[in-house]
Amino acid sequence: MFWKRQIPIAIVALVGTLTLFGWFVDQPDIKSFVDDDATQWYDILASFAIFLGALNLLKLQFQKIIKQKKGWQYSIFAILGFAFAFYAGFLGRGAYTVNVNSVGDNPEAVAQLLAEETETNIETATAVLDLIEDGSPLMLEEVHWTGKSVNATADKFIASGADVEIIPEQWSGGAHLTRTGSLFNWMFFQVFTPLSATMFALLAFLVASASYRAFRIRNFEATLLLVAGIIIMLGRVPIGSKISSWFVLYVFVLLLGVMINTWKKNRILTFATVGLGLLIVTIFGMSMGWPIDRPGFAYLPKLQDWIYLVPNVAGARAIMIGIGIGVFATSMRYILGIEKSYIGE
Amino acid sequence: MNDKKFWFTLGGIFVAFIIYWLLGHPFFIEERIVMLIAIMLAAATIIYYINKAKRGEEISLRTIPGLKAFEEAVGRSTEMGKPVLYVPGIVDMDQVETVAGVIILGHVAKMTAQYETPLNVPVARSIVMKAGRESVREAYIMQGRPDLFHEDMVHYLTDDQFAYAAGVNGIMMREKPAAVFYQGKFYAESLILAETGNSIGAIQIAGTASPAQIPFFVTACDYTLIGEEFFAASAYLSRDPKLVGAVKGADVLKVILIGAILLGIVLRLFYDLGWVNFDILKFLTVQ
Repeated sequence: MFWKRQIPIAIVALVGTLTLFGWFVDQPDIKSFVDDDATQWYDILASFAIFLGALNLLKLQFQKIIKQKKGWQYSIFAILGFAFAFYAGFLGRGAYTVNVNSVGDNPEAVAQLLAEETETNIETATAVLDLIEDGSPLMLEEVHWTGKSVNATADKFIASGADVEIIPEQWSGGAHLTRTGSLFNWMFFQVFTPLSATMFALLAFLVASASYRAFRIRNFEATLLLVAGIIIMLGRVPIGSKISSWFVLYVFVLLLGVMINTWKKNRILTFATVGLGLLIVTIFGMSMGWPIDRPGFAYLPKLQDWIYLVPNVAGARAIMIGIGIGVFATSMRYILGIEKSYIGE
Repeated sequence: MNDKKFWFTLGGIFVAFIIYWLLGHPFFIEERIVMLIAIMLAAATIIYYINKAKRGEEISLRTIPGLKAFEEAVGRSTEMGKPVLYVPGIVDMDQVETVAGVIILGHVAKMTAQYETPLNVPVARSIVMKAGRESVREAYIMQGRPDLFHEDMVHYLTDDQFAYAAGVNGIMMREKPAAVFYQGKFYAESLILAETGNSIGAIQIAGTASPAQIPFFVTACDYTLIGEEFFAASAYLSRDPKLVGAVKGADVLKVILIGAILLGIVLRLFYDLGWVNFDILKFLTVQ
């Protein structure tokens, strides 16, 4: 119990206090612990913990297949994907390259071949060959996954009379993971990235369906959201600046009429409000000469700016302050050892 | 600790700091004194109210519909004979939201243990998996149902954001859980998850401190714990006086903060008008 309860709580209290107050102390050791060491320790722990996760994933997927649970076919893809990533990352580096060390007796044929292989013109290829002749071997950009493929390329150069060498990708620092053309790199950019992008792209459609639900006029708040949304969307596109503020004012008067009718349910009052409003707007418009961007509060680009920078920021900051206090109070509960449920009651 | 001891300790710390300051405050970064005072005051306020709660003072918590709905959601799952899905966010245990999410998981697990409802917790980090398992195991033991607990209730999917979203969506579409909880830190995957949950007709309760994701959850979920409500969830669900005291302390801090903001506005106005020669913004700016 002592090792599972008191010791972890003491570590949390000590590290928490040190991290909190370390920010006020100008002492290099404490500073380096707070800024670097503590986070690096965590990263090291997390790196080892990934094995637990990977094993758990494999265990569950195998169980699913063996017991033929619902959707077990997908587990085959999960296991194959895992095995392929493992192979590409640890075993099949698959990144062979060809080094051209010297040109030989037939430089024209080598230049022609080099131009074809590197998709450049013959002049550039000839210039590169001059460099090779000067003692700088050329590493061809194309990376081959298999020995068969790299041998085929090497054989072409050998047949042209060039002296070539096949270089397998080195392990150093996992360079083959980032090397363009390696198996892992291909898997990451040609399989994994498009799949992630597909999931991300779904967001556009989901935003549309969520917006439809949010903007449905059910009550006052939803209506307010709808009006604010329309103003923001129109105010941020070029057409918004072409809409006269007087037109917006007329729309506002009509909206006011809708609100009064909903609230009072009195036709005469509604008619009087709308009629008076339209008359006032018209009189002011005629006296001012109908300028498109005045009065400023009804000009959409300015109105959307105000909505975005004043009520929106005020609400967001209120939430942020609440979150900040919540985080602080929660952290204090951990540091003081009051909240212990993260290690069990 | 009674009030006398509390004030005595606080006074002691204050006197010790004054002495340290007068001795030339070695290693201390002077420009950050305002922040230190603010932290000490905030900490003292929270500790004061925790002590009050520990001594048995009645503290009432306002009803938070989202938290009240936790039991309703688990109950609905039980009635429909479907599992409960709990998503504790996509970041690691070094984020306070994830820790809060794992704590809330413990409370949800108590309910699922009590109602004998299956619980499924897919996670995106291995350490969260271990912490979540401990939390769920404890909950099932405390409810006297260790027989219902099995380790694979909390299982790892992947570290990658969208692969995780795809995995959780797959679980939702196959298992059709009746209740889905999203409690933790989320990014762009929040709407992908919540809309899928909505499409299968699950009752959804979200809680997050990620301000950018709150609108998505509000739109797609039945209940959303916004910011501080999410951090108060543990206190609300456990009704532990010490935790409730901390929530009260946080509320008092908010009142103090509102007062400080108003005072700051007035002082800044006076400075702009040239009535005082003290720039509050410069004083409060964190160095």
